[in-house]
Amino acid sequence: MRCQVSVLYFARSAELAGLRSETLSVPRQITSLQLWEEIVKAHPRLAVIQDQVVFAVRQEYVLLGDQLLVLQPGDEVAIIPPISGG
Amino acid sequence: MDETEDVPKDFIKLKSAKLSVDEVSELVVSPYCGAVSLFIGTTRNNFEGKKVIHLEYEAYTSMAETEIKKICRDVRQKWPSVKHIAVYHRLGVVPITEASVIIAVSSPHRAESLEAVMYCINTLKASVPIWKKEIYEDEYSWKENKECFWANSEK
Repeated sequence: MRCQVSVLYFARSAELAGLRSETLSVPRQITSLQLWEEIVKAHPRLAVIQDQVVFAVRQEYVLLGDQLLVLQPGDEVAIIPPISGG
Repeated sequence: MDETEDVPKDFIKLKSAKLSVDEVSELVVSPYCGAVSLFIGTTRNNFEGKKVIHLEYEAYTSMAETEIKKICRDVRQKWPSVKHIAVYHRLGVVPITEASVIIAVSSPHRAESLEAVMYCINTLKASVPIWKKEIYEDEYSWKENKECFWANSEK
């Protein structure tokens, strides 16, 4: 089963993807790495930053890996490159 | 004394207008506090021999505010006597020498507010989704805080 999530791009990931946000249809249950792979399929230029990014799913940080995500329609998934606030 | 009028408050703002040290420090002043401690992060004009023209900041605003609220909550747990906390971060273009971030904390005695301010800026750099782009003469660079736990150490 799939659902529509809101994907947000920031900083370098927004430059590589060429956009700041979009709606994507993704499997409701998916590992964080699989979710990344789905996003890279849509935006191949993102592959170069794979080792540097994490996700924020419903505003909680998630590393790219085996963690199983249970997504709801309308969930916010953000691509988070290394931060540099302050 | 009646403390009900001075309930501890957190003041969190992300904005593109120039930050004012007077404004932010006045937010945390309290008649019950003998100390206001401040951190101001300002824009440097150089990085590794390159001239920096200005900085640009962007943020995942809603999550940044939530993460800063968590920092304030942690501060109050670690230093219960802290009265008010203000964290103001500028977004967009920040010219050289202007402030990107101002953190102000008040407490009855100075040790707690000094320690809390340091904790706030260190934790902000490790956990708040804000990004800085350094603009040089011929190029630019997305910066990465060393505090960021998922960043590559090799550049």
